[in-house]
Amino acid sequence: MNRRWFSFDRRKADLDAELEAHLRMAIADRVARGESEPAARAAAERELGNAALAKDVTRQAWGWLFLERLGQDFRYALRQIRRSPGFAATVIGTLALGIAAAAAMFTVVDHVLLQPVSYRDPSRLVLLSETDGKTGDSQAPWLDLQQWIDQSHSFQQIAFSEGLGGRNYLEGKTAFLEVNGEIVSSNLLDTLGVQPRLGRGFIPEKPSFAASKNAGLIVLSDAVWREGFGGDKNILGRTVKINNKLYSVAGVMPPGFRYPEKTSSSSPQVWIGHQLGDRDKDRTWNADRYSVIARLRPGVRPSAATAEMATIQKRVAAQYTDPDDRAQYGQILLERYTDTLVDADLRKALLALLAAAGTLWLIAAVNVTNLLLARSTARQREIAMRGALGASRWRVAQQMLVEGLVLSGVAGIAGAGLAFASVRLLSSEITRHLPLPAPATPDAWILLALLGLTVVSALMSTAWPALVAVRAPIEPALKQGGLQTGTGRRHHRMRGALVSIEVAMSLTLLVGCGLLLRTIYSLRHVPLGYRTDHIVVANLDIPSFRFAGRNMTQELYAPLLERAQHLPGVESAGLMSVVPLGATFTIHFQMQMNGYAIVAFLKAISPDVQRVFGFHMVAGRYFDAQDTATSQPVVVVNQAFARLYSPDKHNPNAILGSKLLNLRKNAPTHIVGILEDTHQAGVADPSMPEVEIAIPQITPDATFYPVLEGIAMDLAVRTGRPTSEFIPELRGVLRQASPELAGATITTMDQIVEDSYGSQRLAAHLLEIFGSSALLLCVAGLYGLLAYVVTQRTREMGVRIALGARRANLLWLVLRQAGLMLGIGVVAGSALALASGRLLRGFLYGVNAHDGWTLAFAAVLLFLSGMLAAYFPARRASRVNPMEALRAD
Amino acid sequence: MRNRKDAEYQNRVELLQGTLDMLVLQTLQWGPQHGYAITQALRTRSGDVLQVETGSLYPALHRMERQKWVAAEWKMTEQNQRARFYRITAEGRKQLARDRSKWDTMVAAISSVLEV
Repeated sequence: MNRRWFSFDRRKADLDAELEAHLRMAIADRVARGESEPAARAAAERELGNAALAKDVTRQAWGWLFLERLGQDFRYALRQIRRSPGFAATVIGTLALGIAAAAAMFTVVDHVLLQPVSYRDPSRLVLLSETDGKTGDSQAPWLDLQQWIDQSHSFQQIAFSEGLGGRNYLEGKTAFLEVNGEIVSSNLLDTLGVQPRLGRGFIPEKPSFAASKNAGLIVLSDAVWREGFGGDKNILGRTVKINNKLYSVAGVMPPGFRYPEKTSSSSPQVWIGHQLGDRDKDRTWNADRYSVIARLRPGVRPSAATAEMATIQKRVAAQYTDPDDRAQYGQILLERYTDTLVDADLRKALLALLAAAGTLWLIAAVNVTNLLLARSTARQREIAMRGALGASRWRVAQQMLVEGLVLSGVAGIAGAGLAFASVRLLSSEITRHLPLPAPATPDAWILLALLGLTVVSALMSTAWPALVAVRAPIEPALKQGGLQTGTGRRHHRMRGALVSIEVAMSLTLLVGCGLLLRTIYSLRHVPLGYRTDHIVVANLDIPSFRFAGRNMTQELYAPLLERAQHLPGVESAGLMSVVPLGATFTIHFQMQMNGYAIVAFLKAISPDVQRVFGFHMVAGRYFDAQDTATSQPVVVVNQAFARLYSPDKHNPNAILGSKLLNLRKNAPTHIVGILEDTHQAGVADPSMPEVEIAIPQITPDATFYPVLEGIAMDLAVRTGRPTSEFIPELRGVLRQASPELAGATITTMDQIVEDSYGSQRLAAHLLEIFGSSALLLCVAGLYGLLAYVVTQRTREMGVRIALGARRANLLWLVLRQAGLMLGIGVVAGSALALASGRLLRGFLYGVNAHDGWTLAFAAVLLFLSGMLAAYFPARRASRVNPMEALRAD
Repeated sequence: MRNRKDAEYQNRVELLQGTLDMLVLQTLQWGPQHGYAITQALRTRSGDVLQVETGSLYPALHRMERQKWVAAEWKMTEQNQRARFYRITAEGRKQLARDRSKWDTMVAAISSVLEV
């Protein structure tokens, strides 16, 4: 390249010398013929004509002129940037902001919504479950499933699976791993269309109650194979131990394969062959229920499959003896597999945020177009001058395009850097709020999209001003004071319209932001019913394998609590399966009581926890020190439970004294107290029925012992000490209890409550950023335009003053113009905001999507900011000195 | 949207292109020449009728150089001026022959039309 430029420069010098020689010889000839030296020179130069043009055309013959011009334009663009750094900074900053916002949101949305599915042709995969069409869906027992398999024709294959449940530890050759196990039908991998990378996997067979060839077979994920067995190629047929049960390895899946795709834990997965058993022989609450995934036959539409399944399920449901059950399982829910990966609300929210980011980008592009347009008009004289000197119009237009490309290229690079930073920021923000896989960097496709955005924005922001510049006639622009022409006025209107569009889009963003801020405000003011201050919460994964055959109540929890309570500065400490809003771990249980089918959350609790949180009792008593392993088993329920299941519908308290679940064989528990409701899942969600059991009463022979004590536990400590100082000490206590616990997640209760606002807070945060950026861009755009217009009209203002206009009139003149643009924008924006409010509806709490106050506030804020931005140019217009103005230009 | 002045300039180059190439190549048949000498030669030989513009000549020369019909080198003139001399190549001679025959055919054809 260098050499090429070098030789190019030399050839240019050559050409100069050649034409020089030509001129000298022509002059010498004329002088020899007797002309005077100056006359000869003049005549020869005339004969030579436009030497620069001749050189241009000659160089064009070399075929390099295009490059040369590009280089020239590039250098010129850089010079322009240096000459007005403020303008360049505004353009670059604006575009970079728009690009970064769009790119970051695009990356995240792409990552969350379009997660790559590792299955073959996932569009044909559907999930089947039973439902009553209203309240929810449930998995299917084998007896129902069997009839689906036998009677349906829409599916190529129907496969099913159930989780292994609990905590599972696999003893590998090289490591001891916690794994996530799924018991799967023999055709599951086939249905998903993924084959093991090693081994043949499960043996195809029809499910039956006879001994299955797949019972005791296990397929490992790539991660387990590598981490647990060091990627041993001879793994097939070897036995592995999970929770002391033996399995024989039948295959290793390729890297990246997961099933189920969405799990609460990130532990590596294993798949175990399924064997039908006694629990598959009935369809009551006692039966095993399975997740069902099926592959549609090619060409069968989901709607057709749904219709077929509806008829089949009608026959199936008729076989349920209980009329409630018949209603509850009477219909089929068929969902496309790919639609189930992302929660519908979240999808909507992300799309809304994507739209917001896109809008911000549009605002940025419009703003830049406006700025460039204003400047190109200001440069009309320069352009006209260059035209008069012989530059072709296309040459000028090309140069402006290059200028735009340089500006947006720099903006693109800045935007890309900013996008990297904001993706990182956004990801940490997202993972803090939502259990989602978040990307750390924009991927290659996103970068391509970014490049596309840059080019589009470059074309958008330069094509138009360049076109205007090309069309502008030369003569009027060159004439003194010829700035105010008819075309100029038309351009003003165009720019005014652009400002109005900007205002409208910004208002939409501001209203969205306002609605979410009000949602957050409402959420923060929902009474929680307990204290959240000064509480540190440690979320423990219980290493139950360490305590196999021992009593965790006595050997783990009691000493742990004892030590925590005796840490310096601790007021109280308690244990709870999961703290309110904790969202780490829930146990549902179903049973019969007083003739009702009961569904409730179940929690294990240490009595001291009440002193930590200050939960309120509505009736009866809470647990106390007298509730021990040997005393009468008791439970405490919440108001929601009492309301729903009390024997006397009008008196929830009548439930006190009722017998509930059996803690041990023949040891029914008594309900001794009713707790005030707390929100378990989210502040905006209603409280669900809840049953609490005291940890001291849970002994290893208790029915729920492995679930309540062996999986997860939150340790809540009330302390006035600063958390940064306290947490290391707490970790020490946890390490003493069991070394695995030292790595527990420790946070504060305030933070847990804050985090429970999750997606709303995330959306509010992002919309705050988008909204304030939009406002800023809008104000900057309006100011830029008016400042420019006022400069253009300096002469006119001078004339008006000279003719007797009062300064207040001039101030009013400019403000009126701004008010008109803002007014149109606000009216259009209100309509837009009302229309787009629907996008947010699922996200709002305590505020209507069409809330008039929010709209009014945003409109007033925008209008006032706009008028403030207009005031400064208006004041300048009113202070024009008529003498100077008339003399100027 | 092209500037008209620019367009006319280039049009003239195009109009002359076929013949200009032929005339320049023919001139170079008599020996290597620099640009100025070529214009002078064309002018005297055509009896002052053909006035070749610099803006056409040099682009043509450089184009023909790229097409390898002529080769150029810097030499001193008799007046001790440094100038770029163009020399016709074998390829250029072939091109000249092709141009000649095409020209002759065309002149004959035009004449026969005009004589009717």
